[in-house]
Amino acid sequence: MFVLSFLLRRLLQGSLIILLVTFIIFTLLRVVPGDPARLIVGGMAPDEVVAMKAKELGLDRPIPVQFVSYLGTLATGDLGTSFVRPKSGASLGGAAFDDQTREERAKVLDLILATLPMTLQLAMVALVIALLVAVPLGTAGGLYPGRWPDKLALALGSLCVSTPNFWLGIVLTLFLSVKLKFLPAIGYRGFSYTILPAIVLAVEIVPFILRTLTVSVAQVMREEFIQLAPIRGLSRSRTIFSHALGNSAIPLINLLGVQLGMLLGGVLVIEFIFDYPGLGLLTINAVLQRDFPLIQGIAIFISVMFVAINILVDLIAMTIDPRLEY
Amino acid sequence: MNGPILAVSNLGIDLQRAGETRRVVDDVGFALAPGEVLGLVGEAGSGKSVLARALVRAISSPLEIVSGKVVFEGKDILSADRRELMAIRGNRIGFIGANPMGSLDPRLSIGSQIVEKLRSVKPGIGRAEAREKVLDLFGRVRIPSPDARFHEAPFQFSGGMMQRVMIVDALVSDPSLVIADNITQPLDVTVAAQIIRLIDDLRQSLGTAFLFISSSLPVAAQIAERTLVMQRGRIVEKGRTEDIAANPRQAYTRTLISRIPPIWNNVSAPVATEAEAVLKIDNVTRTYRVRRRNTFNGFNAVKAIRGVSFTVKARENFGIVGESGCGKSTLTRLLAWLEQPDSGRIAFLGKDLSQLSSRSLTEFRKSFQLLLQDPYGSLPANMPVQRMIEEPLLIHGVGKAEAARLAQEAMAEVGLSMEFAERLPVGLSGGQRQRINIARALVLKPQLLILDETLSALDQVEQAELLDLFTRLQATHGFSYVFISHDLALVRRMCHRIAVMYLGRIVELADNATLFERPHHPYTRALLSAMPTLEDNRFPRSRYLLDGEPPSPIELPSGCSFRSRCPRAQGDCQRIDPPLLVIDGGNAAACLHMHEALTEKETADVE
Amino acid sequence: MTDIVRENAVPPAAAKRGATPTQRMLQIAFARSDFRIGLIGFGLLVGLAIFLPLVSSIDPVKIAYSSKLLPPFPAEGWKWPYLLGTDQLGRDVLMRCLVGLRYSLLIGVTTVVLMFIVGCSLGLYAGFRGGWADAVIMRLTDAQLSIPMIILAITILGVSRPTVPAIILVLGLSGWPLYARVARSVALGERNRGYVLGERVLGASDLRIMLLFVAPVVLPPIAFVAVLDIARMMIFESILGFLGLGVQPPTPTFGNVIADARKYLLNAWWIATMPGLFMLVSLTCLNLMGSALERARNAVLRGEA
Repeated sequence: MFVLSFLLRRLLQGSLIILLVTFIIFTLLRVVPGDPARLIVGGMAPDEVVAMKAKELGLDRPIPVQFVSYLGTLATGDLGTSFVRPKSGASLGGAAFDDQTREERAKVLDLILATLPMTLQLAMVALVIALLVAVPLGTAGGLYPGRWPDKLALALGSLCVSTPNFWLGIVLTLFLSVKLKFLPAIGYRGFSYTILPAIVLAVEIVPFILRTLTVSVAQVMREEFIQLAPIRGLSRSRTIFSHALGNSAIPLINLLGVQLGMLLGGVLVIEFIFDYPGLGLLTINAVLQRDFPLIQGIAIFISVMFVAINILVDLIAMTIDPRLEY
Repeated sequence: MNGPILAVSNLGIDLQRAGETRRVVDDVGFALAPGEVLGLVGEAGSGKSVLARALVRAISSPLEIVSGKVVFEGKDILSADRRELMAIRGNRIGFIGANPMGSLDPRLSIGSQIVEKLRSVKPGIGRAEAREKVLDLFGRVRIPSPDARFHEAPFQFSGGMMQRVMIVDALVSDPSLVIADNITQPLDVTVAAQIIRLIDDLRQSLGTAFLFISSSLPVAAQIAERTLVMQRGRIVEKGRTEDIAANPRQAYTRTLISRIPPIWNNVSAPVATEAEAVLKIDNVTRTYRVRRRNTFNGFNAVKAIRGVSFTVKARENFGIVGESGCGKSTLTRLLAWLEQPDSGRIAFLGKDLSQLSSRSLTEFRKSFQLLLQDPYGSLPANMPVQRMIEEPLLIHGVGKAEAARLAQEAMAEVGLSMEFAERLPVGLSGGQRQRINIARALVLKPQLLILDETLSALDQVEQAELLDLFTRLQATHGFSYVFISHDLALVRRMCHRIAVMYLGRIVELADNATLFERPHHPYTRALLSAMPTLEDNRFPRSRYLLDGEPPSPIELPSGCSFRSRCPRAQGDCQRIDPPLLVIDGGNAAACLHMHEALTEKETADVE
Repeated sequence: MTDIVRENAVPPAAAKRGATPTQRMLQIAFARSDFRIGLIGFGLLVGLAIFLPLVSSIDPVKIAYSSKLLPPFPAEGWKWPYLLGTDQLGRDVLMRCLVGLRYSLLIGVTTVVLMFIVGCSLGLYAGFRGGWADAVIMRLTDAQLSIPMIILAITILGVSRPTVPAIILVLGLSGWPLYARVARSVALGERNRGYVLGERVLGASDLRIMLLFVAPVVLPPIAFVAVLDIARMMIFESILGFLGLGVQPPTPTFGNVIADARKYLLNAWWIATMPGLFMLVSLTCLNLMGSALERARNAVLRGEA
């Protein structure tokens, strides 16, 4: 079956990429200055204790050896244990090196799976908001190039893409949350806490959809089969909705895969500002605390997600456009 | 109903651009009777396509209808309200365009789109009923396996098949009029002839009237009883097609007809003479591996060239003709040494090209040049004209000053005015661009010029001018030309010897006179019968035109690759793949039964 | 219908002068009002950023408690010349914005130039050669795209004093795949053109063809991408600054200024809001220019000029 062979090939390529990414992050962490062992035992600890901790964590071995053994644990489905976070959930740092409460670290996979749903919720809400705003406007812009919907789309897109997301978060918090008490901002105590961060994230997504749609809708409307449709007897609404939009969606879906990395960056910053307990916040804290296993685990997880999403996007594109199969 | 089904009077259409207004359709009037086929002939820019669209009121800015009436079945389309218009378009009037591959949504199945059209114009029809009707019409236009092909997307069809699909699309609503705008232009000549025959059959059985628009009078003459000749927006001549062809009254029509190259009568075909060989191809093959869809790592072998041999002599024009899929383009790449053959030899001036070191190969490349079809893609947009012509010299190490001098000489020789020297190619016509290409080829003083459909994108006038140029250059420099073309008329006029290709093989190789007067291979005869001409065709279509399309080069029939369509196929044709068998002199054809065929024909002629 | 219109089209004035596609693109862009607005606005701001700190006596870094927390014009209590107010240490907000703009531009433009050179070279090579080179370079871009820039940045920079070159390197790593992809698709498109084949028949080397013929074709599509990217890089840089990973205080950059000002949001909202607005305006101008360039290039491609 064609789909099977396609999947097989893409999974193979995907695995290679994931491997490559893992190796890069792995090496990078160990090459760049900043000692996790010292961070864990505390800055005041004597050198021998630090060295012992390093040995315990396996950080004294050569990098390739560490990598191979890491791959070994991966193969069993174990993403490792956090250097830093205990099972209880609280984050650490700075305490004395012989503090007994430091034992019992959390498993990386658990940490990831606990925070993933939050980020997904944020992403979904943001996507819905962005689509609701950008699809009608972008389509209108493409249908009437050079007229006011197009100009509005261009202006709005430029405005959105020029707005630093952290600044927007701060300003919106000030007005909507503090001054007007409209929406809650910091932390998470219910679904309404997702809305403000989602708006900020949506502002990042909107310009991309606007730009792609206005160009591709305008392009499709110039195609011969669209021009011929009314002559063949098809009504205008049918021409636009059935044929023009369907063909315009293809470039949009194709570029989605490429944009993912950028969006993830936005998610990270936004979760940081709003103290939103998702994967992004987890990542930032992990990096700042040099929590190697957690960072690596997240990196692998994200790569796998990217590969999976890219494959999914390609499959959807092929369903919409049968030419791509060939 | 009595009276004409379509009556156009005083139609005027303006084009607005850059503040100027130009009249592109001027005071046009004509009538079309029910069931009649009316031809509309005009060159590029005559306004015929604009006229066609105006008849269905598909005119929008910057074009504007400024006067006239288009009365269809008693109703003036130009002043009808939206509902009336929608009841006519796609319903009572069908439309087929010149670009079959781009006429339907590329993502959806063609069957569903025709059903969609039918249900849009006749809302009462149910889905199953519509589907039945579509499948029935598929059978009538002779699309094989209609049930399966119903679900396929446009890209899975060839040009000819897709045009049949569009014919179904136009006829599915039982229109009383179909407008056919240049529908055979993108098609191979035998496929075009089939389509025209098909339309003729259909209109006789269905009683549909046709407005058949074409840029070529011979093409329109195949089907139109009456014809209108259009020039610069006006109808300059109208009448029965036969009368116009035999006795044109207007000067323009006379010029138009005089430009049609003669094929059968009053032809001075070039005669082959002896000379030394410049290019020798010996049993060359080339196969491509194409990934096979449904498997993980499977490949299909596309046998593009399957054993081709011929020789081109000095000062000779050698023609290679064939339709889509015959391997012409691959052969071009091999001749220009852009790709190497998988087996066989290509020898130029006696030297086997594969044996040359890369340095001597570069040196050798000066002696043969390639001229391609597309005048727009073949010139880099960022380089001034003279610099482009200097480029070949610069690559081969000629000094800047010397290169400039030689480039200017070449420009003069091909008729390019010096004012173009510093210009970028933007805005130049197709003919001018091809002259630049010719100058580029000339400048290295080659001995062989390979012309791959070089003139196909040009209009008649430009073609004729360039052909004269080619002849002049040959007299001055002693070139040999290889003309690769689908245009038999061109080849008839220019070439000494001609090879006919089919599915990667040469099926007939003969001198000009023999090929056109006594062709031996049934495919050659079919090609000749399909050629549109105003003269009496020596090979009438009723006898020689083939059905169907060539098989895919991935799955060739065993034995003779032509046997699946050959009217003469017999038992041994299935087992033996005939090579080129000599007829006489330098002529040969690849058919086991060619002599029998000829005898039969002679008998038929006598009767 | 468009072919009928084009058949009768008049070559526009630009064509008569014989301009290259890049020149035509620029001509169309300059004729657009949105491009001009963006250009003027951006030019003004850049001009201010370069010259005002040179001639003004206000020091963006020096602490001056006497003039702290002054609101902007026209709010009550504002003082000349502090048009946008002052922060908690008495420093002029406007001046700090201008200095921040300098750094943003420096980093943004340098990064884009580097990405352009490296990305386009790799992309051209990959698209033109195909085969091994193409496969390797494409997998590299895939891998690069799979690593979100933020993670890379935080990892590398979250460690010691981030220097300008390090920031440029990290930003550049995140963005070069786009240039490679665009250049590659241009190369793939040109590879089979008639004149390239003609060059090969003549025996021209691949390098010659790439440099002489294909590279100029890359310019129009990349031009607007580059302009838009400068804006994008400026935002990235400000994000890094906000997280504490960019240029460190007391040198003011948009990011660290806004981060600093968070605590004063309720009392002195202008310290955080003004720099953001400043960025918004400058980047909107840049983006207007970039979008106009994109529309201009599409028009050239379609043959409307």
